[in-house]
Amino acid sequence: MVIYMGPMGLYQSNNSILEKLNPITKLLYIITVIALSIIIPAPQMNLACLLASVTLLIIGRVFWRLIPFIGINITVLISIIVIQGLFMAGNKTLWFQIGSLRFYQEGLCYALNLCLRVFNILCAFAILLLTTKPSDLIESLVEKGLSPKLGYLLCAVLLIIPQLVAAMERVMDSQRSRGLETEGNMAVRIKAYLPLIVPVVLSSLINIKEQSMALEVRGFSSDLKKIFLNQQFSPFYEILIQIGLLTTITLALLRRLFLWLS
Amino acid sequence: MGNKKMTFRGFNTPSLVLIPAAVGINYIGKYFATVLKLPLWLDSIGTVLASILAGPIVGALSGAINNIISGLTVDPVAFIYAITSIAIGLTTGILANKDYFSSFQKAFGAGIIVAVVAAIVSTPINIWFWNGQTGNIWGDALYAFLVAHQHPVWLASFLDEIVVDLPDKIITVIFSYIIFKSLPQKLTYLFSPNNKIETL
Repeated sequence: MVIYMGPMGLYQSNNSILEKLNPITKLLYIITVIALSIIIPAPQMNLACLLASVTLLIIGRVFWRLIPFIGINITVLISIIVIQGLFMAGNKTLWFQIGSLRFYQEGLCYALNLCLRVFNILCAFAILLLTTKPSDLIESLVEKGLSPKLGYLLCAVLLIIPQLVAAMERVMDSQRSRGLETEGNMAVRIKAYLPLIVPVVLSSLINIKEQSMALEVRGFSSDLKKIFLNQQFSPFYEILIQIGLLTTITLALLRRLFLWLS
Repeated sequence: MGNKKMTFRGFNTPSLVLIPAAVGINYIGKYFATVLKLPLWLDSIGTVLASILAGPIVGALSGAINNIISGLTVDPVAFIYAITSIAIGLTTGILANKDYFSSFQKAFGAGIIVAVVAAIVSTPINIWFWNGQTGNIWGDALYAFLVAHQHPVWLASFLDEIVVDLPDKIITVIFSYIIFKSLPQKLTYLFSPNNKIETL
């Protein structure tokens, strides 16, 4: 049996500067961007953060890979622009008209602002997700104090899904060769669902017994402190970046507090 | 399921190993739904199954880890919907402890409860993040109709979500019930916290 263990997700190795950064620093960047957009909710702030993220993505040579990343959420964003532009409660000023569809300024502005906020957060996440191997991120989180059991569960998912995809294709081929119809009207397709999923579910549940015994004999439930195979260390400039990001959040908070008090 | 007391204390290793398998099952559930071109997501069969087998806490953890992994690999928006997945796991687990998965009719009822809970939890997230829309064509058409007729956004958003959730979650729960019933007892017993098999 050949087990397919391809990589999961959108990450591809390209040896860029961003890839060499500690995942925690990139996580901190996301937190900073989200914190700033909550503390200072002006569109200018979102635009500035978005520009910063895009610049970083270009430096990391992953800008073009942003397209599939944003593509997942594009339908809901288009739907928001159309529906809020047409029907939002506060719509007063007519902006333009296509046939009998009247688009209003208030709704469109609101929707575009919302899109800007979503793009801003997505681009900040893109920096982490497009340049970090998911298992590296989980390992650094465990090093920062995440429970090793939880870390194992997250890593196990990353390994199990490619295996299940391979099992899935085998099951589909075998059930089709036994005469299972997978095309036709809705009733036929719904009926095909269980014969496809049950064998994969059964085999993965049967494996659990062996897996848990294997884990037990390796001391999975032991409470002793775990050590790491790869020791990570943060260079000086990385600590500077982290301090800089934390200072930005603090300054924004202080400014907000100051405006609120005065 | 006579393990009400134990499910809330620590859980055994097979129950922990069940969690990645549940997330995997969620993934293939969604994949098969796409391959068969079904107009449903069916992306929480694993979470529901884990809740039936090992109780609400394992179910909730499966839901959370499911969304953390999708958030880390494909779509960061999945992170905030982890709350919905946790609610689905908790609700199903509690219903399973209350013996809702002993007959088909009861499982159907459980499906309706899970759908309503999922919609109630998702609506504030939808309002906060997407001003109440879901991106689903039928749901959003209903939303547009309601908002155009001066109904409040929260109501439009809730109905937008429940139109999508009701058929999806009922079929998810019923499929999980059928799968659960077809499992050999040797397997279901493994996750019951009272068993002594795995004590090495």
